[in-house]
Amino acid sequence: MTGLIFLALGIASMAAVAGLRGTAIGLFGASFIAAVLWLDHHMTSSIELSF
Amino acid sequence: MGPLIRLGNAAGAAGVAMILMVAFGLQFGLKEPPCPLCNLQRAAFVLCGFGFVLNLRFGIQPLHYGLVLLGALFGVATSGYQTLLHVAPGAAAYGAPFLGLHLYTWSLILFLAVIAAVAVLMILSGPPEHDRSDHQAALRFRGAYRLAAYLLIAATLANAANSFLLCGPVECPDNPTSYWISKHLPS
Repeated sequence: MTGLIFLALGIASMAAVAGLRGTAIGLFGASFIAAVLWLDHHMTSSIELSF
Repeated sequence: MGPLIRLGNAAGAAGVAMILMVAFGLQFGLKEPPCPLCNLQRAAFVLCGFGFVLNLRFGIQPLHYGLVLLGALFGVATSGYQTLLHVAPGAAAYGAPFLGLHLYTWSLILFLAVIAAVAVLMILSGPPEHDRSDHQAALRFRGAYRLAAYLLIAATLANAANSFLLCGPVECPDNPTSYWISKHLPS
């Protein structure tokens, strides 16, 4: 999944360099949402700050 | 001030690419595959760098800085969460320390530094470059600016390949010790 996020971001950056601003920002948005959902999926451990 | 701001954005994009390359160096040098949260922090760095590339290619605009900040905030959430997981006394840390701090702590510091740097760049930027044509922006996108963008793209695609070889198409183990691809290669 993280590989797909990187791949989408790589394509977004290439689209930006090629001048396709809308495509690039759209791919950024999709990658960002996927990254947030993937972080939520991995936030399984509880944080122990009480001693 | 324009060239200085563009130089700052090029330094941002190249800096992100350098961070990703250093992470690669430590990964292969210390033989420590990145954990899922570590990979997400690398993705957050790429999200930050993307906004810098947009500024270099299309001109300085608040929207592009906003994308950098979104990436940095996502990075703060990811690295902050991982730092808090290991901050309690007696809690085991992940990976070897680098210059006295673990990589997720360095990430947290660097994401906060990106936010501070964007604040300075926005203060110095002045009015957005909406009035300039795309042709003008494209003409300025050359030399070191173009090289910084290409470096970031190369580092991003290298991370895509690395993630796939490490985790496969779906999910990484929490504590990866070997590459997914090594289990699927004929012996």
